[in-house]
Amino acid sequence: MREYLISVLTEGAIFGIMALGLNVIWGWSGDFDLAYYGYIAVGAYMTLVLTVGPAVAPAHYILGLTLPYPLAVVIAVITSMAVSLVVGSIALRHLRGIYFSIVTLGAVYVMYVFAGQYTPLFNGYQGLSGLFDPMGDWFGLDYLSYQYFLLGLCLVLFALVFLFMWRISGSRFGMALRTLREDERAAAAFGRDIYRLKLKGYVLGAGLGGFAGALFAAYLTAFNTSAWSPVEVIVLYSAVLVGGRGNIWGVALGVLIMGLLVQESTRFLPMLPGLGELNTVHPQVLLAARGAIIGLVLVLFLRFRPQGLLPERRFADSEGALAVAPQTA
Amino acid sequence: MSGPDTSPALEVRGLTKHFGGVYAVDGCSFQAPRGQVTGLIGPNGAGKSTAIDLISGFKLPDGGTVLFKGRAIEGLAPHHISRMGLIRTFQSPREWPGLTVLENVVMARWDAGRESFLRGVVGLARAQRDRSSAELAKAREILDEFGLLALRDERAGNLSGGQKRLVEFARIRMAQPELVILDEPMGGVNPVLGERMALAIEAFIATGTSVIVVEHNLPFIERVTQHVIVMALGTVIAEGPFESLRSNQDVVDAYLGGAVAG
Repeated sequence: MREYLISVLTEGAIFGIMALGLNVIWGWSGDFDLAYYGYIAVGAYMTLVLTVGPAVAPAHYILGLTLPYPLAVVIAVITSMAVSLVVGSIALRHLRGIYFSIVTLGAVYVMYVFAGQYTPLFNGYQGLSGLFDPMGDWFGLDYLSYQYFLLGLCLVLFALVFLFMWRISGSRFGMALRTLREDERAAAAFGRDIYRLKLKGYVLGAGLGGFAGALFAAYLTAFNTSAWSPVEVIVLYSAVLVGGRGNIWGVALGVLIMGLLVQESTRFLPMLPGLGELNTVHPQVLLAARGAIIGLVLVLFLRFRPQGLLPERRFADSEGALAVAPQTA
Repeated sequence: MSGPDTSPALEVRGLTKHFGGVYAVDGCSFQAPRGQVTGLIGPNGAGKSTAIDLISGFKLPDGGTVLFKGRAIEGLAPHHISRMGLIRTFQSPREWPGLTVLENVVMARWDAGRESFLRGVVGLARAQRDRSSAELAKAREILDEFGLLALRDERAGNLSGGQKRLVEFARIRMAQPELVILDEPMGGVNPVLGERMALAIEAFIATGTSVIVVEHNLPFIERVTQHVIVMALGTVIAEGPFESLRSNQDVVDAYLGGAVAG
């Protein structure tokens, strides 16, 4: 039970960072980006190839270095941002709405197929493994205390990212991103360089995705194409939507709710009559049922509460609160 | 103190835009005097809206030039033109619906320094903070002037059509551009509000903003403008004070659908 709790919380903190990054792109800039999970994957893959050492045949992968984990994380984040800069500069120039989404979906499938099929890059579909307890021997931690250490680390990092996002949220930069979401032609008419501003938000979000991916690699110790699929991003979207798009407190709440739902659904689903036995014959049934539940939650929220449980709060001037942004008053 | 600037606020020469074989704007030339309200009228399809899009950078012209502050601005991106001090509105109000009325007004003023990502992280410098609070006070003042102060914390999307127009005017006051182009500001506005908007346009002039107003509502044009430009079939067919146009046969024909080509 204790180990279960540790792993759920660690995963939750990582999931939270992912969702906060997605919130920059979708919550603030307003772009429904389907390539987002690709940046998480790039972060995870890069962290592994930079830390696990040279490939031993029959495995193949690039780099194969043994850098200290924190340095690898930094490089992984930069790589994610660079990839997102390429995708974003193509997709954000003229495309909006569903057209933007389709191009980003294409981009993430290119990444997915490339990572899975082109063996010399990240060892193909078998992926990478062997990142055991990064930084653990610096502090001489045993297996269990390392789990606590990683949990603490992820929680602290989530808190720092949350603080960072809290500042951005109330800043003029954050407000400018929102003007793009609300009406970008008006934003341009009042001096905003839509393309550059959107690109900044996109790369910032992807950087957070890459960061979460780097932590995810440490948590999983391995990464391959079965650990990620482009549709995983829907779970992140559901967390942002359920909690409250644009509101970082809402995003945190959404992560809590959807994280628990996803975790717990694998426990309560087999108890449903018939589903348990069916799953022993067709092992994909539980996974599919989990997907269906997430889909149902998404549809219900879109229909009945599209603003989420904690809608984006605006600054109330008449209540004496800080108007527009903590920075402006 | 130098003497008053007598150069036109905007000069358009031979502006042309075609969509396939259709010339939406066809060699359009005019000047908008500084410190005045210039009306731009013409029947539907005359090319007024396309001309505005070309001037403000939202569409690329196929030919011609647009001079603003001594610079040719045709082909520049909309945000460049806006930053130079030429701001336009749109036929339907384009408020930022999810932001409050006050935020809509405050964010009408663009500022590279305060809006940078870095400033978002490290916070504003003292001088920037002072500027922000001064602007906030200014925004409240402007909203008070438009009778919107009580609504300042309301999301702009919840306002009525007329109120949204006023928010748009308040944003212009906040941005204080050198020239504003208003695209059919009277669309869907009742006569009482119309008088308020006429006063607001006078206030633009008083605060140093020259105005071009595109409008179908001719009594409104007569009320607010000193100079009127009439467009038909993509080009300027007449200009002058409104009274002088009443007797102009070309203008009458254009509005009644008669032939103007010739």
